[in-house]
This record gives sequence, C-alpha cells and structure tokens, in this order.
Amino acid sequence: MLNKTLIYTTIRLQSCCLSGLLSFCLIFLPAPLYAVQITLNVADVTAPSFTARGIKVVLAQEGSAEFSIDELHMAEKTWRKVHVHCAEFLLSSARVTCRKGKLDAIPDLPFTLNYEFASQRLELQFAAKANELWQVNADFRAQPWRATALLRNAQGKRLTDFLSPNWPLPTQGALNGKLEVQGDKAGVSRINADLQLADVAAADASGLHAAEKMTGTLHVDAARTGQKWDWRGALDWQSGELFWQPLYLRGGHTLQAFGQWDGAQLKVTQAVATLPGVGKVELNALWDVKKSDLLEGRLLGKNLSLAKGFTDYAKPFLEKSALSATELTGNADVDWQYRNGATQSLLVKLRDVAVVDGEKRFALHGINADIPWHAQELNVAHVAFADGELMGLSLGATQWQIQMRGQDFIMPTATLPILDGKLEVSDFHMQNVNDMWQWNFSSSLTSISMQKLSAALHWPEMHGSLSGSIPKVSYQDKLLKVDGTLLFRVFDGTVLANHLELFDPFGRAPRLSGNLDMRELDLDLLTRTFSFGNIQGRIDLGVNNLELVQWVPVRFDAKLASSPGKYRKRISQKAVENISSLGGAGGVAALQRSFLRIFENFGYNRIGLSCVLRNDICTMAGVEDNGNAYTIVKGGGIPAITVMGYNRKVDWSELITRLKRVSQDNKAVIK
Amino acid sequence: MNNLIRICFALFVLSVSAVASAQVNIEINTPGVVALKQSMQTRHAQLADFYASGAVGLTSDGLVALRDANAVPLAARQKVNGLVAAENQDRKALYAEIARANAHPEWEGDIRNTFAQRWIQRAQAGWWIQSGGSWSKK
Repeated sequence: MLNKTLIYTTIRLQSCCLSGLLSFCLIFLPAPLYAVQITLNVADVTAPSFTARGIKVVLAQEGSAEFSIDELHMAEKTWRKVHVHCAEFLLSSARVTCRKGKLDAIPDLPFTLNYEFASQRLELQFAAKANELWQVNADFRAQPWRATALLRNAQGKRLTDFLSPNWPLPTQGALNGKLEVQGDKAGVSRINADLQLADVAAADASGLHAAEKMTGTLHVDAARTGQKWDWRGALDWQSGELFWQPLYLRGGHTLQAFGQWDGAQLKVTQAVATLPGVGKVELNALWDVKKSDLLEGRLLGKNLSLAKGFTDYAKPFLEKSALSATELTGNADVDWQYRNGATQSLLVKLRDVAVVDGEKRFALHGINADIPWHAQELNVAHVAFADGELMGLSLGATQWQIQMRGQDFIMPTATLPILDGKLEVSDFHMQNVNDMWQWNFSSSLTSISMQKLSAALHWPEMHGSLSGSIPKVSYQDKLLKVDGTLLFRVFDGTVLANHLELFDPFGRAPRLSGNLDMRELDLDLLTRTFSFGNIQGRIDLGVNNLELVQWVPVRFDAKLASSPGKYRKRISQKAVENISSLGGAGGVAALQRSFLRIFENFGYNRIGLSCVLRNDICTMAGVEDNGNAYTIVKGGGIPAITVMGYNRKVDWSELITRLKRVSQDNKAVIK
Repeated sequence: MNNLIRICFALFVLSVSAVASAQVNIEINTPGVVALKQSMQTRHAQLADFYASGAVGLTSDGLVALRDANAVPLAARQKVNGLVAAENQDRKALYAEIARANAHPEWEGDIRNTFAQRWIQRAQAGWWIQSGGSWSKK
C-alpha cells in the first residue's frame, strides 16, 4: 500500500522568507518497520542573497535525515549537488535541530544546528579535530538582529569557496577571534571584527600576489548610516612575508585607518602606516573600487630612513632603469599629492643622503636638498652635495638651484668640481617630451691636471692639463652628443677632441665615436710615460672616424707623423726594436746582426705610421711605400737608421697584446 | 636576407662554441656583442634553475618571461623579476647591436625572430616555451 499526504507550508524568518511546496511522500514499505522513511521534495527556497533549488529531504525512522540540494546560491557563489547528513534530526513546532551533521563538501567538519522558531535564535557550530571551531549564534528577533561568529583555530582554506578567484586564496593557516554583525530590514548595518591570523598562506593563480607564514591581528569596526558606511580598522602584521608584484615585504608593519565606503568609492580619511626600518607614513586616499582607480591620494612622511625605504618600496619599480643597482642612505621628508590621474605635487627634503651606484658608475655623498615640485607652479629646488664620483673621477662639493615647472627643469648656471678643475655649466635644460627625457647644456672645463686624471683612470702617469669649451652637450634618445671641441694639453702638445657622441652611456655596451687631433706631442715625454724605449722629437697624430664600443676601439683611421719644424730627432735602439716588433720582424733581425747594434741611439729624419682599423684588422702604411714594405722610420744624420715594416695587415688584438707587453716589460718581442 | 641572418646567427652560435671560423664577413663578434654575451652567460647560471623549474620560460619573440611565480620561493620572486628584466634588456640590445654592427639596423626584427627560433631549439628538455600565446613543456 502507498499513502501520500501533501502539506503546504511556509516558514518565515526575521530577514528571510522560506516558501515552497513540500510534498511529503510517505512510503510505507511492506516490511520490516525500520525501513520506513519519509521523502520530502521542496520546489525551492528563496531569500535575499540566498536560493536553494531542488531540495530533497529523506527522513529515516531512526531519526537521521539526508538533505540534498541541486543548486545552492549564497554570498554570490553557487554550489551544485550539495548533500547534508544529519545523524539526529528533529523538527517540531518549536525548533529544528540537526546533531552530528555532515556536509559532503567538508566531511571532516561535523556540525550541530539548532533553530528556535519562536525566539528566532540560531545556533550553528562546526567543530573538528585540532580544536577547530566555527560557531555562529544569531538572534533574528532582536532589534536590530545580530549574529556572532566565534572562530577558534579556524582553517583559512575553508573560506576559499567564498572568495573571489581573482584574489589570493588562503591555502594554509588559522583564524581566531570574533566577528559580530548587526542588521535591520535594509540589511547588515554594523560589523565588528577582531581576528588573529596564525601562519596564514595565500596565493593567486599567477603567484604574483602571495603571502606566507602571516601572523598578525586585524580589527575592523564599521557602521552603516543609510547607504554610507563609516569604518575604522587596525592591522598589526607581526611576522611572515608578502609578495605583491613587484614588492616583497616582511612583517613588522602596522596600519591604523578610518574612512567611508558608499558602495562605489572607498575613502581613506586618514591612515597611519608604520614601515619597519623606515618610519611612519600618513596617507589619505579616494579609491574607485569598481574601476580600480585612485582618484585622489596623499602620502606624508617625516624623517624617513631611505636605506630600507628605497630598497623595499622604490627599487622594485626601477628594475629597468639606470637606478636598478642604486643604494640610498640618509633621511627624507616626503609629501606627495595625487589628483586627476597625475601627481600634483611632490615636496622632498633630503638630509645627509648618499646615492651609490652598485656598478660604481656614480656616487654622491652628503646630499642636502629641498625640492618643492609642483605640476603647475614654478618653484626652485636647492640641491647641495659634499662630494661624489663619476666614472672614477672624484667630484667636489657644490650647490645648485634648479627652476622647476612640471616636467621642465632649468639651471641657468651650475658648477661641478671634477678632480682639481671645474665643469662650469650654463643653460642646463631638462624636459620630458613624449615620455622621453632629454637635456642639454653648454659648458667650459677649467684646467684639470692630467696627472690626477691619469691616476683616477688608472692610466700611465701623464703630465699636462685638460681643458675645453663645449658650446653644447645634449642627451636625447640615449645619445649624448658634444658639439664643439675639448682641448687637452698633454705631453707638451695639444689634443683636440671633436664630434664626440656617446650612445647608451648607461647601457651594457656604450658606444663612443669622434675625432682626435693631436699636435706636437713630445716623444721624449710620451715614450717615457709608456716605457717604450726613448725617442726624441715631436709627432702629430690624427685619429678620425674613431668608434669605441664598450670602450674598445672597433674602427678608426689613425695617422702618426713627425711634426713639422726643427727639433732634435734621436731614436734609441730599444725603441727601434719595439717599433719593429709591432710592425714586422725583418728589420730588427737585420739590426741585431749588423754592426749597428753597437750604437745606443740613432738619428732619424721622419717617423710615420698609419693604421686603418676595420674588423679587428689594422692595415698599416708608413712614411713611404717600398713595394710590399713601408718605411716607419726614415734615417737621417749619423748614425742613421731606417726601420721598415713588412706586415701590412696586423691583427689589432695581437698588436694591443704586444704593445702592452712592450710597455709592461720594456722588452722587445721579436719573432 | 633571411639566409644572411641565418648565417649571421650560425656564426654567433659557432663563436659561442669557441669554434668560430676565421672566414667571417659578417660582423658578429663586436665588443658590444661580446660584452652582452658575457653578461648573459653570467646571468644564465642564475636563470638555469628557474628555466628548469618552469618559473621562467622562453617566449616566441626572443625574450624570456616569468611564467609561474608560484614555482619560486616568495623571497626570491623579486630577484627573478630583476633577472628577467635584465635578461630582456640584454637580449634586445644584442639584436640591435648585431643589426647595427652589420650596418643594417632594419634587420633587427628578423634577427630577433631567428634568435627566438634558435633559443627554443636549443632549450633543454623540460623547459617551458611559448608558441602562439600558450606555454608548453619541451
């Protein structure tokens, strides 16, 4: 026999309404009695932000109950085929109770539920091994209604299904604390949370936002008036690590903040963040949450320590710039204001700051500066430093006044002390055009001692001076261009450098090009400096189409010739041997075998040698050609000597190796 | 022109293997290329582990990319970011330098494509490579 009873029922709660058609299918199975069960099919249950469809309840005679829900929608999430088992289920006119309940999705977290219809009180408790507890008590009849969640060793990963997959999802760690919620007919009106995080880990799919071993406390208090929320929060992040591309931070941060939230915009009226090893920073901001856009912001910090501040918070954003290997020390005051999609002002005060490039390209020490930058207004920055270094050259103390208006910086005059001289800069102008920085200036270089310069650059010691007038130096699209002529006074002669261009000065392979014109260099001084074997006389050397990549010559047309005029011309036997060994060995062998070896030095009429460097091969020529051979030193006087070269093509790297050997050992290399 | 670039690349590979022939008409061993090669070789020792773990992969346009940051300990993720940025800077400079050294700056794109194919061919088994926007394990 089969009996069916249909019962229509409605269940009303304070804030939600359950309605549906319960069809009680009373199935009396023939025998035995313990097999009796009741199956209830509920069409659907709906409430604000909650729906359940396809509910089936099977009540067994021994008091257990099985619930299956085809589709459950809650907190903007949907679960399908949800199955709940209650070992002890009781439904009376006073209450509904489920003891030793189990959700299929979380079988290791049994629960107990009790709901009193009259008092509208709910008690829900999930408890598991390892002392884990999620306990919710709610009173829906109270005005306002309230619910409290108590968490004890609550595993964070259980929240994964409730959170947006676009955010880092918890994978480990526990939550402890209390969450209180109050509400009225319009919904939740007050939230109060006191949570402790222990050993929490979370990560998003890409791994670009992740945290590990996070321990700390979070306190949030928020109340709604109409549509507006007033909130106040405090975060104490005690330990653990966080990677938020490109920032990597460790615990020790605290944040206290308060503000408003209207469903679209989050306002941080005031926030104070303590950054470990850096100092305190005050913030306020207006954030468009939907567009993920900062509408307004201000950051204020006094006496911030730059050492850790720059490394932790600025350098990660500078990986692709010349500052990626820079270290900063010292202190700074910062006041940054942002509005309408751009920085409106940045006021920076630097106290005893040092900037040091990790690749030793530049350094500045003892920087004190006041930089009141505004996007629209004209302001003057005062910058001073005590000393520094640029490409191995030491810089002296100076101070500059920089006129700033937006992305336009002007310095009418400035002095940069280099070694014992000075670079006097005038009309320095730097600007950002189409998102590319460019600058130019004109300058003059007052006498720098070559002795100091050669020591600083680890060259053989030279005497003389370097000076010059440079009508214009400009930098644009990675190209540093020097218009005008640099004048060096070395070896009692002059060196003029012009058409100098340096491409990508801070890149991996800087490329320098230009021309050098050297006149009347004293060979006696020159050969002594480079330990070449003494030569007396004067030479002119022209180097055109010079190109250096990574400071190594790759191309030039060089021509060396005795200077015009009358002067003493003598060449030592050692120098003859050295010259011969560079250009070809034939002449030296002849010298060694002949009676000429008894003379220490010889007279000469002219010296001349040219080298056209292409593809690492130097094509040589001398004073005059003699068939396949060429004359390098043409004899004159008594005793006279003529040195011939026989190799027209010489491997440049090999030539340099030989020159170095000659210079270092002061010994001829004769093959 | 593509053949020329292939020769150019083959020469580069040969020179890397230290068996370069002296019969070189195309400039491939300029000081700029040498400096970039050295810088990339030094960095490779640091990047190799990240290629093997799948954290970093070879892209189809001749660069490298952070593919799966989850394969890197949290404290090292910033360092990998830096390595990837520096490697890409060098790679771009290398393609430009080879084109420039051969007095054909307009070849840069072709040189880059040829290199992209060769980097992927030479990648070790187990490294991640990009093709048509998706990643696969070699």
